[in-house]
Amino acid sequence: MIRRIDSPNAVLLGLVLALSILITSYAAGESQLTRLPSPAPANSSLSRVVANEAGEIYLSWVSQDAGQATLAFARLTSEGWGAAQVISRGRNWFVNWADFPVLSVDSSGMVAHWLQMSARGTYDYDIRARFYAQDKAAWTEARTIHTDGISAEHGFVSMLPLNDGTTLISWLDGREIVHSEPSGAMTLRAGIFDKSGANVSEWELDHRVCDCCQTSSAMTERGPIIVYRDRSQQEVRDIYTTRLVDGAWTLPQAIYNDNWQISGCPVNGPSVAAMNKRVAVAWFSARDDVPKIQLVLSTDSGLSFSEPIIVESPNTNGRVDTTILDSGNIIVSWMDTAGEAKIMLSRYDINGVLLSTTEVASSSASRRSGFPIIEAVGNSVYVTWTDIDATPQVKVARIDY
Amino acid sequence: MLKPRKSVVSLSLFVMIFVGTTTFWNPLTAAETNDGNWRIVNYWSEWCAPCRVEIPIFNELSVRLAKSNVMIVGVNFDEDPMELTLEIAGKMGIEFTVLSQEEVDLLALKLPDVLPTTYLLSPSNKVVAKLIGQQSEQDILDELTLQGLTPFTD
Repeated sequence: MIRRIDSPNAVLLGLVLALSILITSYAAGESQLTRLPSPAPANSSLSRVVANEAGEIYLSWVSQDAGQATLAFARLTSEGWGAAQVISRGRNWFVNWADFPVLSVDSSGMVAHWLQMSARGTYDYDIRARFYAQDKAAWTEARTIHTDGISAEHGFVSMLPLNDGTTLISWLDGREIVHSEPSGAMTLRAGIFDKSGANVSEWELDHRVCDCCQTSSAMTERGPIIVYRDRSQQEVRDIYTTRLVDGAWTLPQAIYNDNWQISGCPVNGPSVAAMNKRVAVAWFSARDDVPKIQLVLSTDSGLSFSEPIIVESPNTNGRVDTTILDSGNIIVSWMDTAGEAKIMLSRYDINGVLLSTTEVASSSASRRSGFPIIEAVGNSVYVTWTDIDATPQVKVARIDY
Repeated sequence: MLKPRKSVVSLSLFVMIFVGTTTFWNPLTAAETNDGNWRIVNYWSEWCAPCRVEIPIFNELSVRLAKSNVMIVGVNFDEDPMELTLEIAGKMGIEFTVLSQEEVDLLALKLPDVLPTTYLLSPSNKVVAKLIGQQSEQDILDELTLQGLTPFTD
């Protein structure tokens, strides 16, 4: 005899079953990927996703139309993406797939930058920024964040909100290349800016760094840490850190000696994430022409690091990003180039043990697909990238762990 | 100054074959229809300082090596549209042939991890050397010699 199951019980049973499957799959290291609608228009690219302290997600992007570039952002609310808001527009921007705008947010406001061609040099561009004070609910006029007044290359910006409403901005600064005799090298500089855009302090952190790799910064329990690709006199381009401790920057120190010696630009900067004393740095290298993504961990705010864990080799072209979940798990995003390129997320526990690897989307090894960017909120990760299958458009997804 | 030249005869021929006969490009086709030239394929970008240093060297070599059946071609690493690529190449003073993206795709080279990167291709379009980073004129000539070529020198 077949017994009839009445509907409320069936629904309840279904829910229990679904929940148990979900719990089981999560315990086994699975994740759930949800594609989100994109607030960015067609012909958009160069996106970043960033969260404030409250876990509110912001997406920024650059759209291009008839020779004009527009930097805009939208905020994700419980009702979905809010209306896109324009930060700046221009026809004389340096729009580049590897060196692109940053949006920084915290409870006191926002900072955003873009690159604007200098009038006097073919390859020269300035870092222009606007600052948004929450209490004034208004953006400042655009200002140049470096004060050298020299027509040179400036870019590869990272931003880090500090606890007092100011923002630490670090960047690559080419002033010594054109200003010194004999010609100097690309330098790493940083400054702290208040919400009016005023420069509170500024430093040169390294006198000779790789010309065209992204910088990255994070806040540890002991203060900010900046990671970048160094350039030795022998053209070794390994990853270095410097930390702001008790008001002074530490001497640059290698996180690991890859000894990757090249007289060229890898265009593949490192990424750092931090939570309290724990720090994770992921980076790309290709010594002996063998591409490799590595991850090191620190439990002392970046003073020392573990031996590297290989995230992927050799089927990758890098383009890494890093974030840390509330659970303490570390997420590294990277490009898989075995066959068709794919955007991947690898999850590690606090000891560096690989827990899972998730394919986010198919992509392209093409430069036009840009650098995927990730940001953690709780135990979820937001990912943004550019889909170049047809008209380029920024995409967003959330992966729940 | 010479203007950058678009298109390589043999590669254009490959495009015609590609479009006219099949939806897949067979590397053998390229070998069979090759013009007998060796190719130096230089990846550059306008924002890459060592790339800009190399340009005058490749400009000069493109003239001198043509007599030795060695052709120098450039690739814009940033994959900009051809019109923009040619504009940038002009600003950079590039006087050797610059390939379109379609032509680059036909070469089926691995995208370089470092700029500049220069490939040396045999007449059968086989990659025989990958030179990573900034190269000097002597580096290029040495590599050609290593491949058994005796590049023209005056």
